[in-house]
Amino acid sequence: MSGSSEISLGVSLYSYGGDFLVTMSLEDCLADVADMGATDIEILADTHVAGYPSPSSEWVDRWLTLVDGAGLRPTCYSSWLDTRLHRDRALSLDEAVAILRRDLELAHRLGFSIVRPKLGVVSLDLIPDPIWRDTVERVLPDAAELGIAIAPEIHSPTPLRSRIVDDYVDLVRETGTEHFGLLIDTGIFQTEERKGGHGDSVYVFGDPEPELRERVAREMSKPLAVDPADLVDLMPYVVHVHAKFWDMTDDLTDPHIPYDGIVRALVEGGFTGSVSSEYEGPRELYRASDVLRRQQLMLRRMLDAA
Amino acid sequence: MLESHVIQAKGFTNVGGDAPNGFQVAVRCPYYRGIWASLIEGVELTVDGETFAAETIRWTLGSSSCATPQLAERDELRWAFEEPAVLTVERPGGLEPGLHELEFAVTWRWSYIPVEMQPTTNISTRTLVLVR
Repeated sequence: MSGSSEISLGVSLYSYGGDFLVTMSLEDCLADVADMGATDIEILADTHVAGYPSPSSEWVDRWLTLVDGAGLRPTCYSSWLDTRLHRDRALSLDEAVAILRRDLELAHRLGFSIVRPKLGVVSLDLIPDPIWRDTVERVLPDAAELGIAIAPEIHSPTPLRSRIVDDYVDLVRETGTEHFGLLIDTGIFQTEERKGGHGDSVYVFGDPEPELRERVAREMSKPLAVDPADLVDLMPYVVHVHAKFWDMTDDLTDPHIPYDGIVRALVEGGFTGSVSSEYEGPRELYRASDVLRRQQLMLRRMLDAA
Repeated sequence: MLESHVIQAKGFTNVGGDAPNGFQVAVRCPYYRGIWASLIEGVELTVDGETFAAETIRWTLGSSSCATPQLAERDELRWAFEEPAVLTVERPGGLEPGLHELEFAVTWRWSYIPVEMQPTTNISTRTLVLVR
Protein backbone atom coordinates (compact mmCIF):
# COMPACT_ATOMS: atom_id res chain seq x y z
CA MET A 1 0.00 0.00 0.00
CA SER A 2 1.21 3.50 -0.81
CA GLY A 3 -0.08 6.86 0.43
CA SER A 4 -3.46 6.97 2.09
CA SER A 5 -5.27 4.92 -0.56
CA GLU A 6 -5.89 1.21 -0.27
CA ILE A 7 -4.40 0.51 -3.68
CA SER A 8 -1.49 -1.93 -3.72
CA LEU A 9 1.16 -2.34 -6.40
CA GLY A 10 2.14 -5.50 -8.20
CA VAL A 11 3.93 -6.79 -11.27
CA SER A 12 2.75 -9.16 -13.98
CA LEU A 13 5.44 -11.65 -14.92
CA TYR A 14 4.39 -11.07 -18.56
CA SER A 15 6.66 -8.02 -18.23
CA TYR A 16 9.74 -10.27 -18.24
CA GLY A 17 8.81 -11.69 -21.66
CA GLY A 18 12.32 -11.69 -23.15
CA ASP A 19 14.15 -12.57 -19.95
CA PHE A 20 11.93 -15.30 -18.48
CA LEU A 21 13.80 -18.63 -18.61
CA VAL A 22 16.56 -16.97 -20.68
CA THR A 23 18.36 -14.67 -18.25
CA MET A 24 15.97 -15.11 -15.27
CA SER A 25 14.38 -18.14 -13.63
CA LEU A 26 10.94 -17.97 -12.00
CA GLU A 27 12.72 -17.51 -8.66
CA ASP A 28 14.81 -14.64 -10.09
CA CYS A 29 11.67 -12.88 -11.38
CA LEU A 30 9.87 -13.17 -8.03
CA ALA A 31 12.96 -11.90 -6.17
CA ASP A 32 13.21 -8.96 -8.60
CA VAL A 33 9.55 -8.01 -8.04
CA ALA A 34 9.99 -8.13 -4.26
CA ASP A 35 13.24 -6.16 -4.51
CA MET A 36 11.51 -3.24 -6.24
CA GLY A 37 9.02 -3.01 -3.38
CA ALA A 38 5.94 -4.38 -5.13
CA THR A 39 3.74 -6.55 -2.92
CA ASP A 40 1.57 -8.35 -5.49
CA ILE A 41 2.34 -10.88 -8.19
CA GLU A 42 0.41 -11.76 -11.36
CA ILE A 43 1.18 -14.61 -13.75
CA LEU A 44 0.15 -15.97 -17.11
CA ALA A 45 -0.88 -19.49 -16.18
CA ASP A 46 0.06 -21.01 -19.54
CA THR A 47 3.50 -19.39 -19.52
CA HIS A 48 4.64 -19.40 -15.94
CA VAL A 49 3.22 -22.64 -14.53
CA ALA A 50 5.61 -25.38 -15.63
CA GLY A 51 3.58 -28.34 -16.85
CA TYR A 52 0.38 -26.26 -17.19
CA PRO A 53 -2.44 -27.19 -16.81
CA SER A 54 -1.29 -30.10 -14.64
CA PRO A 55 1.80 -29.00 -12.71
CA SER A 56 3.40 -31.54 -10.41
CA SER A 57 2.62 -31.25 -6.71
CA GLU A 58 6.34 -30.50 -6.23
CA TRP A 59 6.02 -27.49 -8.55
CA VAL A 60 2.94 -26.23 -6.69
CA ASP A 61 4.70 -26.59 -3.32
CA ARG A 62 7.76 -24.78 -4.64
CA TRP A 63 5.60 -21.94 -6.03
CA LEU A 64 3.90 -21.47 -2.65
CA THR A 65 7.28 -21.51 -0.90
CA LEU A 66 8.76 -18.99 -3.34
CA VAL A 67 5.94 -16.42 -3.15
CA ASP A 68 5.81 -16.78 0.62
CA GLY A 69 9.58 -16.41 0.90
CA ALA A 70 9.55 -13.31 -1.30
CA GLY A 71 6.67 -11.85 0.73
CA LEU A 72 4.45 -11.59 -2.35
CA ARG A 73 0.66 -11.89 -2.59
CA PRO A 74 -0.70 -13.68 -5.68
CA THR A 75 -3.41 -11.53 -7.29
CA CYS A 76 -4.38 -12.32 -10.87
CA TYR A 77 -3.99 -15.62 -12.72
CA SER A 78 -4.36 -14.86 -16.42
CA SER A 79 -5.67 -17.69 -18.56
CA TRP A 80 -7.21 -18.23 -21.99
CA LEU A 81 -10.50 -19.62 -23.20
CA ASP A 82 -9.50 -20.99 -26.62
CA THR A 83 -12.80 -20.99 -28.47
CA ARG A 84 -10.93 -22.00 -31.65
CA LEU A 85 -9.19 -24.96 -30.01
CA HIS A 86 -10.46 -27.26 -32.76
CA ARG A 87 -9.95 -26.61 -36.45
CA ASP A 88 -13.25 -28.09 -37.62
CA ARG A 89 -15.74 -27.19 -34.89
CA ALA A 90 -16.56 -24.64 -32.23
CA LEU A 91 -15.75 -25.23 -28.58
CA SER A 92 -18.82 -26.66 -26.83
CA LEU A 93 -20.29 -25.11 -23.69
CA ASP A 94 -19.32 -28.19 -21.66
CA GLU A 95 -15.73 -27.91 -22.90
CA ALA A 96 -15.60 -24.18 -22.13
CA VAL A 97 -16.97 -24.80 -18.62
CA ALA A 98 -14.40 -27.54 -18.01
CA ILE A 99 -11.53 -25.27 -19.12
CA LEU A 100 -12.61 -22.31 -16.97
CA ARG A 101 -13.30 -24.57 -13.97
CA ARG A 102 -9.87 -26.19 -14.35
CA ASP A 103 -8.23 -22.75 -14.32
CA LEU A 104 -10.21 -21.61 -11.27
CA GLU A 105 -9.13 -24.70 -9.36
CA LEU A 106 -5.46 -24.33 -10.28
CA ALA A 107 -5.55 -20.59 -9.52
CA HIS A 108 -6.96 -21.40 -6.09
CA ARG A 109 -4.25 -24.00 -5.40
CA LEU A 110 -1.62 -21.38 -6.26
CA GLY A 111 -3.16 -18.77 -3.96
CA PHE A 112 -4.74 -16.44 -6.54
CA SER A 113 -8.01 -14.55 -6.01
CA ILE A 114 -8.68 -13.34 -9.57
CA VAL A 115 -8.83 -15.30 -12.84
CA ARG A 116 -8.71 -13.47 -16.15
CA PRO A 117 -9.94 -15.71 -18.96
CA LYS A 118 -8.90 -14.19 -22.31
CA LEU A 119 -12.03 -14.84 -24.36
CA GLY A 120 -12.12 -15.77 -28.04
CA VAL A 121 -13.68 -13.11 -30.27
CA VAL A 122 -16.23 -13.22 -33.11
CA SER A 123 -15.87 -9.80 -34.78
CA LEU A 124 -13.36 -7.22 -35.97
CA ASP A 125 -14.26 -5.02 -33.00
CA LEU A 126 -13.51 -7.93 -30.63
CA ILE A 127 -17.02 -8.84 -29.45
CA PRO A 128 -16.38 -11.95 -27.30
CA ASP A 129 -17.76 -15.32 -28.35
CA PRO A 130 -21.32 -15.38 -26.92
CA ILE A 131 -20.46 -18.67 -25.20
CA TRP A 132 -18.78 -16.58 -22.48
CA ARG A 133 -22.00 -15.71 -20.68
CA ASP A 134 -23.32 -19.25 -20.12
CA THR A 135 -19.80 -20.47 -19.37
CA VAL A 136 -19.30 -17.89 -16.63
CA GLU A 137 -22.75 -18.41 -15.15
CA ARG A 138 -22.16 -22.15 -14.88
CA VAL A 139 -18.81 -21.62 -13.18
CA LEU A 140 -19.93 -18.87 -10.77
CA PRO A 141 -20.81 -21.34 -7.96
CA ASP A 142 -17.23 -22.70 -8.17
CA ALA A 143 -15.86 -19.15 -8.11
CA ALA A 144 -17.88 -18.41 -4.96
CA GLU A 145 -16.73 -21.60 -3.27
CA LEU A 146 -13.07 -20.93 -4.12
CA GLY A 147 -13.20 -17.21 -3.31
CA ILE A 148 -12.22 -16.15 -6.81
CA ALA A 149 -13.41 -13.28 -9.02
CA ILE A 150 -13.59 -13.98 -12.77
CA ALA A 151 -12.53 -10.85 -14.63
CA PRO A 152 -12.41 -10.47 -18.42
CA GLU A 153 -9.97 -7.85 -19.61
CA ILE A 154 -11.03 -4.52 -21.11
CA HIS A 155 -8.22 -3.94 -23.57
CA SER A 156 -7.65 -1.57 -26.49
CA PRO A 157 -9.43 -1.17 -28.93
CA THR A 158 -12.42 -1.67 -26.58
CA PRO A 159 -13.44 1.55 -24.78
CA LEU A 160 -15.20 1.65 -21.40
CA ARG A 161 -18.40 2.92 -23.00
CA SER A 162 -19.11 -0.06 -25.20
CA ARG A 163 -21.51 -2.93 -25.67
CA ILE A 164 -18.81 -5.31 -24.48
CA VAL A 165 -18.47 -3.59 -21.09
CA ASP A 166 -22.25 -3.13 -20.81
CA ASP A 167 -22.75 -6.88 -21.32
CA TYR A 168 -20.25 -7.71 -18.56
CA VAL A 169 -21.86 -5.25 -16.16
CA ASP A 170 -25.30 -6.69 -17.01
CA LEU A 171 -24.14 -10.10 -15.81
CA VAL A 172 -23.25 -8.65 -12.40
CA ARG A 173 -26.49 -6.69 -12.16
CA GLU A 174 -28.68 -9.61 -13.24
CA THR A 175 -27.05 -12.26 -11.07
CA GLY A 176 -25.94 -10.10 -8.14
CA THR A 177 -22.66 -12.02 -8.12
CA GLU A 178 -19.61 -10.77 -6.26
CA HIS A 179 -17.40 -13.14 -8.23
CA PHE A 180 -17.31 -11.43 -11.60
CA GLY A 181 -15.91 -8.04 -12.55
CA LEU A 182 -13.73 -6.06 -14.93
CA LEU A 183 -9.99 -6.07 -15.41
CA ILE A 184 -8.97 -2.70 -16.87
CA ASP A 185 -5.89 -2.55 -19.10
CA THR A 186 -4.67 1.07 -19.01
CA GLY A 187 -3.62 0.87 -22.67
CA ILE A 188 -7.18 2.09 -23.37
CA PHE A 189 -6.21 5.50 -21.94
CA GLN A 190 -3.22 5.87 -24.29
CA THR A 191 -3.04 9.38 -25.80
CA GLU A 192 0.34 9.44 -27.56
CA GLU A 193 1.29 7.32 -30.57
CA ARG A 194 4.22 5.01 -30.13
CA LYS A 195 6.88 4.08 -32.61
CA GLY A 196 7.63 0.48 -33.45
CA GLY A 197 5.36 -2.45 -32.94
CA HIS A 198 4.50 -4.90 -30.27
CA GLY A 199 7.45 -6.06 -28.21
CA ASP A 200 7.03 -9.74 -28.90
CA SER A 201 8.14 -11.75 -31.93
CA VAL A 202 7.43 -10.79 -35.56
CA TYR A 203 4.13 -12.16 -36.82
CA VAL A 204 2.17 -12.31 -40.04
CA PHE A 205 -1.54 -12.10 -39.25
CA GLY A 206 -3.59 -14.00 -41.81
CA ASP A 207 -3.79 -13.07 -45.47
CA PRO A 208 -6.45 -10.35 -45.54
CA GLU A 209 -7.08 -7.83 -48.29
CA PRO A 210 -4.46 -5.06 -48.11
CA GLU A 211 -7.21 -2.52 -47.38
CA LEU A 212 -8.47 -4.54 -44.42
CA ARG A 213 -4.96 -5.19 -43.15
CA GLU A 214 -4.24 -1.47 -43.19
CA ARG A 215 -7.51 -0.58 -41.50
CA VAL A 216 -7.01 -3.10 -38.70
CA ALA A 217 -3.36 -2.05 -38.22
CA ARG A 218 -4.53 1.57 -37.97
CA GLU A 219 -7.28 0.68 -35.48
CA MET A 220 -4.92 -1.38 -33.34
CA SER A 221 -2.15 1.21 -33.15
CA LYS A 222 -4.10 4.42 -32.77
CA PRO A 223 -4.35 5.74 -29.23
CA LEU A 224 -7.86 5.02 -27.95
CA ALA A 225 -7.64 7.96 -25.54
CA VAL A 226 -10.48 6.90 -23.24
CA ASP A 227 -11.17 9.57 -20.59
CA PRO A 228 -10.03 8.19 -17.19
CA ALA A 229 -13.08 9.90 -15.69
CA ASP A 230 -15.18 7.21 -17.43
CA LEU A 231 -13.78 4.82 -14.81
CA VAL A 232 -15.64 6.41 -11.94
CA ASP A 233 -19.11 5.03 -12.76
CA LEU A 234 -17.64 1.57 -13.40
CA MET A 235 -15.51 1.43 -10.25
CA PRO A 236 -17.86 -0.90 -8.33
CA TYR A 237 -17.18 -3.52 -11.02
CA VAL A 238 -13.39 -3.08 -11.36
CA VAL A 239 -11.49 -5.87 -9.63
CA HIS A 240 -7.98 -5.47 -11.08
CA VAL A 241 -5.87 -3.08 -13.18
CA HIS A 242 -3.06 -3.76 -15.65
CA ALA A 243 -0.72 -0.77 -15.69
CA LYS A 244 0.30 -1.20 -19.33
CA PHE A 245 3.44 0.53 -20.61
CA TRP A 246 5.90 0.39 -23.48
CA ASP A 247 8.54 2.81 -22.21
CA MET A 248 9.50 5.13 -19.34
CA THR A 249 11.48 8.35 -19.70
CA ASP A 250 14.53 9.32 -17.62
CA ASP A 251 12.39 11.79 -15.69
CA LEU A 252 10.14 8.86 -14.73
CA THR A 253 7.09 9.67 -16.80
CA ASP A 254 5.17 7.47 -19.23
CA PRO A 255 5.45 8.96 -22.75
CA HIS A 256 2.20 7.36 -24.00
CA ILE A 257 -0.32 6.91 -21.17
CA PRO A 258 -1.54 9.73 -18.88
CA TYR A 259 -1.04 7.99 -15.54
CA ASP A 260 -1.68 11.04 -13.34
CA GLY A 261 -5.33 11.16 -14.44
CA ILE A 262 -5.72 7.39 -14.21
CA VAL A 263 -4.33 7.18 -10.66
CA ARG A 264 -6.48 10.13 -9.63
CA ALA A 265 -9.61 8.43 -11.01
CA LEU A 266 -8.74 5.15 -9.25
CA VAL A 267 -8.15 6.87 -5.89
CA GLU A 268 -11.16 9.18 -6.13
CA GLY A 269 -13.32 6.28 -7.26
CA GLY A 270 -12.30 4.33 -4.16
CA PHE A 271 -10.53 1.45 -5.94
CA THR A 272 -9.10 -0.92 -3.32
CA GLY A 273 -7.49 -3.56 -5.52
CA SER A 274 -4.09 -4.08 -7.07
CA VAL A 275 -2.43 -2.20 -9.92
CA SER A 276 -0.20 -4.62 -11.78
CA SER A 277 2.71 -3.32 -13.91
CA GLU A 278 2.50 -4.83 -17.38
CA TYR A 279 5.49 -3.94 -19.55
CA GLU A 280 4.96 -4.70 -23.24
CA GLY A 281 7.80 -2.76 -24.90
CA PRO A 282 10.92 -4.05 -26.63
CA ARG A 283 12.01 -7.45 -25.38
CA GLU A 284 15.71 -6.56 -25.12
CA LEU A 285 17.34 -8.69 -22.46
CA TYR A 286 17.72 -7.04 -19.03
CA ARG A 287 15.41 -4.14 -19.98
CA ALA A 288 12.31 -5.23 -18.03
CA SER A 289 13.91 -4.95 -14.58
CA ASP A 290 14.91 -1.36 -15.23
CA VAL A 291 11.69 -0.05 -16.76
CA LEU A 292 9.55 -1.85 -14.16
CA ARG A 293 11.40 0.01 -11.38
CA ARG A 294 10.83 3.29 -13.18
CA GLN A 295 7.09 2.68 -13.47
CA GLN A 296 6.76 1.40 -9.91
CA LEU A 297 8.42 4.56 -8.60
CA MET A 298 6.16 6.76 -10.76
CA LEU A 299 3.06 4.95 -9.47
CA ARG A 300 4.27 5.17 -5.85
CA ARG A 301 4.79 8.91 -6.15
CA MET A 302 1.35 9.40 -7.71
CA LEU A 303 -0.36 7.31 -5.03
CA ASP A 304 1.51 9.16 -2.28
CA ALA A 305 0.41 12.49 -3.75
CA ALA A 306 -3.21 11.46 -4.32
CA MET B 1 16.93 -22.46 -19.37
CA LEU B 2 16.22 -21.45 -22.98
CA GLU B 3 18.15 -19.64 -25.67
CA SER B 4 16.62 -16.32 -26.65
CA HIS B 5 16.19 -17.36 -30.29
CA VAL B 6 13.24 -19.55 -31.39
CA ILE B 7 15.67 -21.94 -33.14
CA GLN B 8 17.90 -23.43 -30.45
CA ALA B 9 21.60 -24.16 -31.06
CA LYS B 10 21.46 -26.98 -28.53
CA GLY B 11 19.83 -30.05 -30.03
CA PHE B 12 20.80 -29.52 -33.70
CA THR B 13 22.18 -32.93 -34.58
CA ASN B 14 22.05 -35.82 -37.03
CA VAL B 15 20.14 -38.93 -36.01
CA GLY B 16 20.74 -42.58 -36.88
CA GLY B 17 24.26 -42.96 -35.51
CA ASP B 18 27.07 -43.83 -37.94
CA ALA B 19 24.65 -44.04 -40.87
CA PRO B 20 22.50 -40.92 -40.34
CA ASN B 21 19.01 -40.98 -41.83
CA GLY B 22 17.89 -37.54 -40.72
CA PHE B 23 18.43 -34.69 -38.29
CA GLN B 24 16.84 -32.99 -35.30
CA VAL B 25 16.43 -29.37 -34.31
CA ALA B 26 14.85 -27.92 -31.16
CA VAL B 27 12.52 -24.92 -31.44
CA ARG B 28 10.98 -23.00 -28.57
CA CYS B 29 7.42 -21.76 -28.93
CA PRO B 30 7.44 -18.22 -30.36
CA TYR B 31 4.01 -17.55 -28.83
CA TYR B 32 4.65 -16.19 -25.33
CA ARG B 33 2.10 -18.46 -23.67
CA GLY B 34 3.04 -21.77 -25.27
CA ILE B 35 0.30 -23.37 -27.34
CA TRP B 36 -2.11 -26.28 -27.53
CA ALA B 37 -0.97 -28.67 -30.28
CA SER B 38 -4.45 -28.62 -31.89
CA LEU B 39 -4.07 -24.87 -32.56
CA ILE B 40 -1.08 -25.49 -34.85
CA GLU B 41 -2.10 -25.30 -38.52
CA GLY B 42 1.20 -25.88 -40.23
CA VAL B 43 4.96 -25.79 -40.17
CA GLU B 44 7.68 -25.33 -42.74
CA LEU B 45 11.35 -25.98 -42.20
CA THR B 46 14.03 -24.98 -44.69
CA VAL B 47 17.70 -25.89 -44.41
CA ASP B 48 20.13 -24.32 -46.91
CA GLY B 49 17.23 -23.75 -49.32
CA GLU B 50 15.86 -27.30 -49.08
CA THR B 51 12.29 -27.23 -47.76
CA PHE B 52 10.90 -30.10 -45.70
CA ALA B 53 7.13 -30.47 -45.91
CA ALA B 54 5.01 -30.53 -42.76
CA GLU B 55 4.09 -34.19 -43.31
CA THR B 56 7.75 -35.22 -43.09
CA ILE B 57 8.36 -33.46 -39.77
CA ARG B 58 7.87 -35.38 -36.53
CA TRP B 59 7.22 -33.37 -33.35
CA THR B 60 8.34 -34.47 -29.92
CA LEU B 61 6.46 -32.48 -27.26
CA GLY B 62 7.40 -33.58 -23.77
CA SER B 63 6.98 -37.36 -23.74
CA SER B 64 4.63 -37.39 -26.78
CA SER B 65 5.60 -37.71 -30.41
CA CYS B 66 3.56 -37.33 -33.60
CA ALA B 67 3.75 -36.11 -37.20
CA THR B 68 2.56 -32.58 -38.00
CA PRO B 69 -0.88 -33.58 -39.43
CA GLN B 70 -1.73 -35.41 -36.18
CA LEU B 71 -1.17 -32.28 -34.07
CA ALA B 72 -4.66 -31.07 -35.04
CA GLU B 73 -6.23 -33.95 -33.06
CA ARG B 74 -4.19 -33.35 -29.89
CA ASP B 75 -6.25 -30.78 -27.95
CA GLU B 76 -4.73 -31.97 -24.65
CA LEU B 77 -1.08 -31.78 -25.75
CA ARG B 78 0.97 -28.63 -25.22
CA TRP B 79 3.97 -27.11 -26.92
CA ALA B 80 4.96 -25.73 -23.56
CA PHE B 81 6.67 -22.37 -23.25
CA GLU B 82 9.38 -23.88 -21.07
CA GLU B 83 10.16 -26.91 -23.23
CA PRO B 84 11.32 -26.61 -26.86
CA ALA B 85 9.74 -28.98 -29.38
CA VAL B 86 12.20 -31.39 -30.95
CA LEU B 87 11.60 -31.68 -34.70
CA THR B 88 12.87 -34.85 -36.34
CA VAL B 89 13.25 -34.79 -40.11
CA GLU B 90 14.05 -37.74 -42.39
CA ARG B 91 16.89 -37.06 -44.77
CA PRO B 92 19.09 -39.92 -46.04
CA GLY B 93 22.66 -39.24 -44.96
CA GLY B 94 21.62 -36.48 -42.55
CA LEU B 95 23.31 -33.08 -42.89
CA GLU B 96 27.02 -32.35 -43.41
CA PRO B 97 28.80 -31.15 -40.28
CA GLY B 98 29.28 -27.38 -40.55
CA LEU B 99 27.22 -24.19 -40.81
CA HIS B 100 23.60 -24.37 -41.97
CA GLU B 101 21.00 -21.69 -42.70
CA LEU B 102 17.69 -22.63 -41.05
CA GLU B 103 14.28 -21.06 -41.55
CA PHE B 104 11.38 -22.20 -39.37
CA ALA B 105 7.83 -20.99 -40.03
CA VAL B 106 4.95 -22.08 -37.81
CA THR B 107 1.30 -21.19 -38.27
CA TRP B 108 -1.44 -21.34 -35.64
CA ARG B 109 -4.92 -20.05 -34.78
CA TRP B 110 -5.28 -17.33 -32.19
CA SER B 111 -8.75 -17.28 -30.57
CA TYR B 112 -8.76 -13.62 -29.52
CA ILE B 113 -7.68 -12.11 -32.85
CA PRO B 114 -10.46 -11.44 -35.43
CA VAL B 115 -10.82 -14.40 -37.78
CA GLU B 116 -10.15 -12.09 -40.75
CA MET B 117 -6.57 -11.71 -39.43
CA GLN B 118 -5.97 -15.41 -38.87
CA PRO B 119 -4.13 -17.70 -38.89
CA THR B 120 -0.87 -16.29 -37.53
CA THR B 121 2.53 -17.22 -38.93
CA ASN B 122 5.81 -16.68 -37.13
CA ILE B 123 9.03 -16.95 -39.14
CA SER B 124 12.49 -17.35 -37.62
CA THR B 125 15.87 -17.71 -39.32
CA ARG B 126 19.21 -18.62 -37.79
CA THR B 127 22.60 -19.93 -38.84
CA LEU B 128 23.51 -22.96 -36.74
CA VAL B 129 26.49 -25.23 -36.41
CA LEU B 130 25.95 -28.95 -36.80
CA VAL B 131 28.84 -30.77 -35.12
CA ARG B 132 27.79 -34.35 -35.75
